[in-house]
Amino acid sequence: MNVKARKPKNRWRCGLARISQLHRSCAILFFLPMFLTSCNNDKIEVYRIPKEDLTVAMERGNLAPPTPEHSARWVKPDGWTEQPVSEMRLGSFKADGPEGTAADISVVSFPGEAGGLVSNINRWRGQLELPPLEEKQLSETIQQKEIQGAPAFFVDLQSAENSSKPSRILGAVFQRPSRTWFVKMTGPSALLESQRQKFFDFVDSFRFNDSGQSGEPPSPSRQKSTNDE
Amino acid sequence: MSKIVQWLKPFTSLKLTIFCLASAMILVFLGTIDQVNIGVYEAENRYFKSFFLFFVPPHTDLRIPWFPGGYIVGSLLLVNLVAAHAARFRLTWKKIGIVLLHSGLILLLVGQLFADIFVDLESQMRLDQGETKNYSESSYFDELAVIDTSATDSDQVISVPSSRLSKGTKIDLPAGGLRVVVNDYYPNAALVSPSQLPHPGYPHLPLGPMAVAVPLEKTYKQDERNLPAADFSVFQNDRLIGTWRLAAGFPRPVSFQAGGKNYEAVLRPKRFYKPFAITLIQFRHDRYAGTDIAKNFSSRIRLLDPSRHEDRESLIFMNNPLRYRGFTFYQAGFDNNDQTTVLQVAQNPSWLVPYISCTLIVIGMLLQFGMHLVSFVKRRVIA
Repeated sequence: MNVKARKPKNRWRCGLARISQLHRSCAILFFLPMFLTSCNNDKIEVYRIPKEDLTVAMERGNLAPPTPEHSARWVKPDGWTEQPVSEMRLGSFKADGPEGTAADISVVSFPGEAGGLVSNINRWRGQLELPPLEEKQLSETIQQKEIQGAPAFFVDLQSAENSSKPSRILGAVFQRPSRTWFVKMTGPSALLESQRQKFFDFVDSFRFNDSGQSGEPPSPSRQKSTNDE
Repeated sequence: MSKIVQWLKPFTSLKLTIFCLASAMILVFLGTIDQVNIGVYEAENRYFKSFFLFFVPPHTDLRIPWFPGGYIVGSLLLVNLVAAHAARFRLTWKKIGIVLLHSGLILLLVGQLFADIFVDLESQMRLDQGETKNYSESSYFDELAVIDTSATDSDQVISVPSSRLSKGTKIDLPAGGLRVVVNDYYPNAALVSPSQLPHPGYPHLPLGPMAVAVPLEKTYKQDERNLPAADFSVFQNDRLIGTWRLAAGFPRPVSFQAGGKNYEAVLRPKRFYKPFAITLIQFRHDRYAGTDIAKNFSSRIRLLDPSRHEDRESLIFMNNPLRYRGFTFYQAGFDNNDQTTVLQVAQNPSWLVPYISCTLIVIGMLLQFGMHLVSFVKRRVIA
């Protein structure tokens, strides 16, 4: 008798009863995995690590260590002192001259064409308070050479005679398949004249690791998978 | 007891099983199709490691759930299976095949759930020849690491996951009494020369005299990575310590002092430090003679773990990973004219579970169908 009374006669009502029961159970069911996965959220972590020994890598003689993402090596000429690399500089040097004068040498690198040769040379001209030049006029002041199968461009720029800040720039631009490299020496004109040969030796010492086949920058995002070969 | 059975009853429904299996099929289909656009990793997260699939109306921040995700379908299926067994099945020799098959399935579902919840993320260790590292890096996630370098023997790292960074966020760091305020944040950015900006008002973060970071669309491609950039300020007791701009594409740290301590901050791929170090001795990319066809990739490494007096060489090559202290190092890639190796680092304590589950399922099926076959043959013989 009891069993009969419990059995709902209406199919529709039976369905409803089942749904409400389902709701209750679902609430628990959804709560469980949500609670469990909440353990995996984005927490701020604090931990201790032994000091990283960076000095070993920096002390490998004259040959600067290649950074994995940029892959170039160069040989520092004698007489230049290494300076700490800053936010943008991959290499930074100082060449001391007479009477406390000094020239600053920088190595920087950017992906792609980095704005193009003309705009970069004109940027250097701007630093010497020289007016920008058209491409045709500029090409007369640029010397071209081939280094490791890719073009390299050299400029020698000097500020105007009546300039408030007389200075000179010796610059080299390497256009590699995936990156453009800038080597720049800035300082008093006479000092740069005496350092000219060292600058060219320095530029000649550059060895690039970029693979000419793929044209891709050797960055972590473009590494090759062993499954692709 | 009867109450529990009553509660479980709706979950024993065969309709629910059909609904779950059909939903799982739809999820697999949608996920596979969308994988073309968003890549394997993102598809896995959106379709399978989620509670719902969301529809985002264009130009809004609304997220409207429209289909159950993998977690809900999997959990429902799991409960359905367990409930059905609890309510209906009786353990008899005749049913042993079905019981084994279903317990294999249950083990597979539970194992996957636990792997998702407790297992560390996969990461990569990138080593140049001769380089030593005691950490691997995430291929997908970045961190803003604020490092206290004051101590002489160790550094304290405060790692803020990049998912916590967005414009206007204020984050109180759990150490040093520091607060980071994110002034601007690009989830993906490209580094360009200032002269490459279309116009001076174009959104960008200046990184130095020769580079600015410009925002890019987030990428989901398999062979690309999002490289965020951030403009942030650090405060100590409401006093501004400094404002800097960092880009993960150019992970050079900035240094500052606060409260008599030295700090460095860097935006970089999230690091997972290990209690041991690995040095790459040599990477080999062997080719078949006279061709460019790859024959073998291998990395000869040196494993150094002073705490366990371990100092040995090991050769990692395809299908021969290095397993050490719960981590597995697979040969995954190479770079830099074969000078750099890329090892995939996985940590999965439940790696045996799928093998055990599949064995149970196969044995269960063999028993079930075998018993049917035997009884069928017997009946034919009698007839």
